[in-house]
Amino acid sequence: MKAEISWLDDPQTFRVNQLPAHSDHRGYATVAEALAKRSSLVQSLDGSWEFSFAKDPQHRPVGFYETDYDRSDFDQLTVPGHIELAGYGQIQYINTTYPWEGKYYRRPAYSMGADRPEKGMFSTDPENTVGAYVKHFTLDTALQNKRVSIEFDGVEQAMYLWLNGQFVGYAEDSFSRSEFDLTPYLQAGDNVLAVEVFKHSTAAYLEDQDMFRFSGIFRSVRLVAKPALHVEDMTIRAGVDDDFVTGDLRVNLKLSAVDKLVGAVNVSLLNDTGEAIWTTENEAAATLDLSATINHVHLWNHHDPYLYQLQVELRDATGELVEVVPYQVGFRRFEMKNKVMELNGQRLILNGVNRHEWDAHRGRAVTQADMDYDQQIFKENHINAVRTCHYPDQDEWYHLCDRNGIYMMAENNLESHGTWQKMGAVEPSYNVPGSLPQWQLAVLDRAKSNYEMFKNHPAVLIWSLGNESYAGDDIAAMDKYYHDVDPTRLTHYEGVCRNRDYADRISDMESMMYDHPDAIEEYLKNDPAKPFVNCEYMHDMGNSLGGMNSYTDLIDKYPMYQGGFIWDYIDQALWVKDEVTGQPVLRYGGDFDDRHANYEFSGDGLLFADRTPKPALQEVDYYYGQHD
Amino acid sequence: MANTTKLNVIYGDETLGLSGPGFHYIFAYDRRGLESLVQYGKEWLYRTPNPAFWRATTDNDRGNGFSTKSASWLGADLFSACTQIDVAVDGQPIQLPIAPVNNQYSDHETATTVAVKFTYTTTTTPATTASVEYIVDGTGKINVNVHYNGATGLPELPAFGLRLVMPTAATGFDYQGLSGETYPDRQAGGRPGTYHVDGLPVTPYMVPQECGMHMKNDWVKVTRATTLNNADPDHQPFSLTIRQTGHPFAFSCLPYTPEELESATHIEELPPVRRTVLTIFGAVRGVGGIDSWGADVEPQYHIAGDIDHDFSFEIAGVTD
Repeated sequence: MKAEISWLDDPQTFRVNQLPAHSDHRGYATVAEALAKRSSLVQSLDGSWEFSFAKDPQHRPVGFYETDYDRSDFDQLTVPGHIELAGYGQIQYINTTYPWEGKYYRRPAYSMGADRPEKGMFSTDPENTVGAYVKHFTLDTALQNKRVSIEFDGVEQAMYLWLNGQFVGYAEDSFSRSEFDLTPYLQAGDNVLAVEVFKHSTAAYLEDQDMFRFSGIFRSVRLVAKPALHVEDMTIRAGVDDDFVTGDLRVNLKLSAVDKLVGAVNVSLLNDTGEAIWTTENEAAATLDLSATINHVHLWNHHDPYLYQLQVELRDATGELVEVVPYQVGFRRFEMKNKVMELNGQRLILNGVNRHEWDAHRGRAVTQADMDYDQQIFKENHINAVRTCHYPDQDEWYHLCDRNGIYMMAENNLESHGTWQKMGAVEPSYNVPGSLPQWQLAVLDRAKSNYEMFKNHPAVLIWSLGNESYAGDDIAAMDKYYHDVDPTRLTHYEGVCRNRDYADRISDMESMMYDHPDAIEEYLKNDPAKPFVNCEYMHDMGNSLGGMNSYTDLIDKYPMYQGGFIWDYIDQALWVKDEVTGQPVLRYGGDFDDRHANYEFSGDGLLFADRTPKPALQEVDYYYGQHD
Repeated sequence: MANTTKLNVIYGDETLGLSGPGFHYIFAYDRRGLESLVQYGKEWLYRTPNPAFWRATTDNDRGNGFSTKSASWLGADLFSACTQIDVAVDGQPIQLPIAPVNNQYSDHETATTVAVKFTYTTTTTPATTASVEYIVDGTGKINVNVHYNGATGLPELPAFGLRLVMPTAATGFDYQGLSGETYPDRQAGGRPGTYHVDGLPVTPYMVPQECGMHMKNDWVKVTRATTLNNADPDHQPFSLTIRQTGHPFAFSCLPYTPEELESATHIEELPPVRRTVLTIFGAVRGVGGIDSWGADVEPQYHIAGDIDHDFSFEIAGVTD
């Protein structure tokens, strides 16, 4: 297959030759590796890559992926990271409108009619910057002679992949993992991996989040080897009976083999002292459905995030251990009862925050230290819930939320604000995805990637379909998808309040943003159909967060008021060197000559961009502490 | 027991001097305010204190148009003039003792208390008045009474207080009140206690704005270690204390005036820290939080322009 640059213009081409999304488990070669969480089957490709920047597709180094291409003029760039923060490409912060506002007149493909495909919009876009990345690697011994795939955890916004000069595949969806099978293209010794990253594609219409607009490989990249037998996917459902005493564990495993699917599958459930409380041994098969009853199960919740560990061990026909897959399991039941969301039979109160991934030095390429710090801030301030606004976060964040009992509203990578809200008014004349069939598969794929990757995390209580994208058949299809695949969680989407025709088909909860407390009370007083959640409230821009009690007072008055998520966790600003004093200073939108821009509107955090708390945080601690 | 120490009163030609052991204050008729506040040889005033009518626009103020609606208070903060001065000795009003009225006095005048009141006429339309009365006793204690005359047609106030600008930057301040930066609509999380703050921190909001407010205080003590006096080589810390008189007060202690904060788009644009701006507030507007593009601060946290506002505090003397 040949890579086509026209895919950038086509909303119906968003994944080519990608492996199907699956659970975020990790395979290890031995039990000891699993305990140490260091898999010899994984080879990181983070670090220095060869790199060439082009200001537009016409100036890109065509054919740079060929093994004999002369790349002597390529620079070096660190992966993961944003191209703009390495000095290539202009930094821009913009909120609702698209980054080309005031520069190019555009309408999304097919939004003005089925005969309007808008060919060439991005493939010939004079401001669609291109990053050409090249990485040489030799497989580690443990990966040699195995099936090998490559995982890109985040590439913004469209990427083409080649190995040793051969085209491998194409991906959009900047914030979901993209995985490709490299096995057919690998060679002994040196391999040449090439990635071409375009800043814009039709995905741009779906990724109009209120944030700095970046490009590049901004999350980790790794090679992953599959042993002779391999767990491709696992679905863990850990529930509890009506008395909240007896746990009900159901595990579905999907296995693959390098040739014949023979061997043994040992599955155990360990308690937190490492003692096996359930074990089963089965013949290897393409699909295995296992179940167990756990007496006196220890339930998972915010205050007691108790985790069991499921351990899957695969042995080949000779009985040799070939893969160990551990996964942490939290038993809990989340359900709607009498129009109130309950966790383990208790009314859920969301003391939440919206969290963009942000690091003032690194942009959205946040570090483990950033995430650990954020969890500590949550713990110290009675924050019990997080909305991953407005895209899936790094995988590790979900594991941290499992371990620390942080309830997650796990949001898709979707925001098309600029297609329906203009000058602050609802104006959906060219909304995408809307009900356009040409855009539906792209958003469904995003829903699927989000579900498959994070379906086993007890912390995820709510799937959020996206943010501020209006409502139509396509988002209704996303809602249906989640309900079809996952009976253990509820769906959330605020945008349906802009188009009530879809109220029955979208979102299990009434969600609003920035509604005044009296308007919320009015809703709650009038026998509403759905419980209420503030998906965004208490806009903490600058010196703000006054009057929080007007919201928290509703908790004790109305059972169907279930709290919300403060906007937001951390200011988005960037450390730069002051052009006058040479000192490090924090800069925001418009400070990079970026126009059209939204200036300081990105500074709405409970934390300053350097992660020091704003004074308002003590107020959050106080009010969230009242209902923790 | 009542303090019976007498104040020395110096009936100057342009000023009224008041002194006692360890303090010397000068009220200047030409400067139209309290020009000098010296305790133990250290000057505490850079310029005469003035009523504070403005706060640097917050992001929420900008979003909901409050600063636009109340912009006349920015002019009033900068340009309101003192239009009347009244002096009373031991409770008895006297004719303003400028030359030659002061020829009737001697070089050894004393009093139990002296009150000097400055009345300011605002630059707003309509205009109104505000007054600041200083009542000094023999210990150097100054009771300060601040009054705002409400007037129909005036917009809501961003703030109402008295601003004291000190000649050099403080090394820090101590106060008994609530932890952290608090406002009327954001103080539930403030823990009562006694706190020390190093230096004069400006809360580093991305765009400099109103900040550093402390609600519900019994007292605040500002400490400096330097003066502008070329003959004063001493760098030992020295302090001035403000106390409540019946009602807790709010204050901020910053290196900048609201107008300096107002003009900057980034914190690095603020000038070098040179002075201390201590503002004692009798009324503080809330910061709001519902959104930043139109939602008003909740009504109970507004400062009405058409009703009177009063507050009092004391500047501690030298013997207590």
